[in-house]
Amino acid sequence: MSMMTGREYIESLRAINPEVYFLGQRIKCIVDEPMFQPHLHAAAMTYELAHHPEYEEIMTATSHLTGEKINRFTHVHHSIDDLVKKVRMMRLLGQKTGTCFQRCVGLDGLNAIYVTTYDIDQKYGTDYHERFKKYLLEVQKKDWMPAGAMTDARGDRSLRPSRQKHPDVYLRIKKRLKDGIIVSGTKAHITGAINSHEIITMPTRTMTEEDKDYAVSFAIPANTKGILFVFSRQTNDTRRLDGILDAGNPKYGIVGGEAIIIFQDVFVPWERVFMAGEYDFTTELVETFAGYHRSNYGGCKVGLADVVIGGSRWIAEAHGLGKASHIIDKLTEMIAMAETCWSCTLACSYEGYRTPSGAYHINPLLANVTKLNITRMVYEWMRVGQDIAGGKIITLPSERDLNSPVSGKVLEECFSGKDGVPPRDIIKMLRLIENMSVGAGLPEAMHGAGSPAAQKIMIERRSGLEKKMELAETVAGISKDKYFESIIGKDEKAHWDEVRKKIEEHKAQIY
Amino acid sequence: MTCPLGLLESMFTIGVRYCGGCNPQIDRSRVVKDLEEGLRKIGLPVDFTTAKERLADVILLVNGCKHACFEAKQGESDRGHTVISVRGEMVDEQYVKEGDIVKMLIQRICSFL
Repeated sequence: MSMMTGREYIESLRAINPEVYFLGQRIKCIVDEPMFQPHLHAAAMTYELAHHPEYEEIMTATSHLTGEKINRFTHVHHSIDDLVKKVRMMRLLGQKTGTCFQRCVGLDGLNAIYVTTYDIDQKYGTDYHERFKKYLLEVQKKDWMPAGAMTDARGDRSLRPSRQKHPDVYLRIKKRLKDGIIVSGTKAHITGAINSHEIITMPTRTMTEEDKDYAVSFAIPANTKGILFVFSRQTNDTRRLDGILDAGNPKYGIVGGEAIIIFQDVFVPWERVFMAGEYDFTTELVETFAGYHRSNYGGCKVGLADVVIGGSRWIAEAHGLGKASHIIDKLTEMIAMAETCWSCTLACSYEGYRTPSGAYHINPLLANVTKLNITRMVYEWMRVGQDIAGGKIITLPSERDLNSPVSGKVLEECFSGKDGVPPRDIIKMLRLIENMSVGAGLPEAMHGAGSPAAQKIMIERRSGLEKKMELAETVAGISKDKYFESIIGKDEKAHWDEVRKKIEEHKAQIY
Repeated sequence: MTCPLGLLESMFTIGVRYCGGCNPQIDRSRVVKDLEEGLRKIGLPVDFTTAKERLADVILLVNGCKHACFEAKQGESDRGHTVISVRGEMVDEQYVKEGDIVKMLIQRICSFL
């Protein structure tokens, strides 16, 4: 087994050359295209850090299949410690890239399919789990990055998948053959899709019997015949072609580099199929994946918060406001929100449990609370970051104007701060805060891993409201409280009768 | 449900170990109480004990949730015994609704006789 370095990962993508389109053009080579390079660099960080001893403990794991050292992004969690290290890895990578590093979706897909295929086999006597273990071994051996493809295009949300006017708005099995299946359909908003070695698909929702052809999960190479990718637009995306300074985060980009994946009569051999019609396990697969993925957001987004908090402090100091009490107060607010989300994700990891498959899952209630907090708090800490940075983040001139012999000198003077701080460094930092707080990263925090409504459904289902009512009934004295009776040493009714009597007897003294 | 009572030469003892009960998904005390009643109904003479020093035929870990923190803290004296672990809405490695936990426990206990 060998773990790729960041550079080796990027070079490995040359051999794949998937069919990618952007702005109406077929992209001949994603590796050489400046438009995509920041996304590749961010994903490459997940490979690179595994080779540095100072991060090895978090970035690598021991394969439960072989006992060998592997990149943690290919690992199936087999302990609470694994779950905790996973979210520590997310925070670390958020800190190093300031953006989405994309590889966690595939990691969560691998874990969710591992857990669910075991349970399907227990019920139906199928061999999906063994098939999946062979696939997982290959992923670990080749250190692949699989893109986790769950969300379908979905069309009319009031209609079930099988009732849609356009059948391709959901991925489905069109034909079952002796040696495999033929699938068609569309997956949308898929993070890291164009720079992944493989695509692993999962159903996007609970399916019923009438939708059983939509209950499908499989893995397939990204360059399989019939698969094409349309890269999605992001806010200010072409700025990286206008000027390096203009981009904001020219090294690692902005959010994950999402794409639409269109499957057109794609053949998938049976050994790569992990669900084919077992609609009664779609809820488990979706919820297991969502639980893992929602927990991640309390790691990666907090890593991003670390960067934006540092950037905000840097800007304040560069302008001579580092010690201003209102700045310190705002930074403290940002830190408290970020650490609240971090506490949530640590809690859902420490409260994880062993599934029947032997793999460990996070606490789903707490993972959904983590993500719900993220949908709110990322906006809030980015708002405070913008507050500290000032209006400059939306009015900065372009790099070309800074380089212009006509305007360059006066612009640099306009954007100077304290003595000794180069104006271009101030612009770099302001652009970074703009990139992180104004752009596509915000709605990504809202909708990535599911929208707030999805989290609220899971929270309501898992919160044990009936038990909470029982607690309230006991405390209110509506139902029996055996521990209270033990304290008072008698029946509760008799106790209150005695209390009433005492009150009456001492009424004159009290009043 | 019936149990092979003929194999029993003496009172069957179940050592009950509760987790701390911080935020249980299930009513742990009710599970044990219903189990006691269920076993009595099928005519199995069972003694339940929470005394750790007493010898038991089966150890029943009653964890309020799937995290099952008590499994990691299980006492040294219980090692080597047959253990059944209720983990919220799971019994050992099987998912089960709260209302079916007792039925599953009776099946497990009977399988040891």
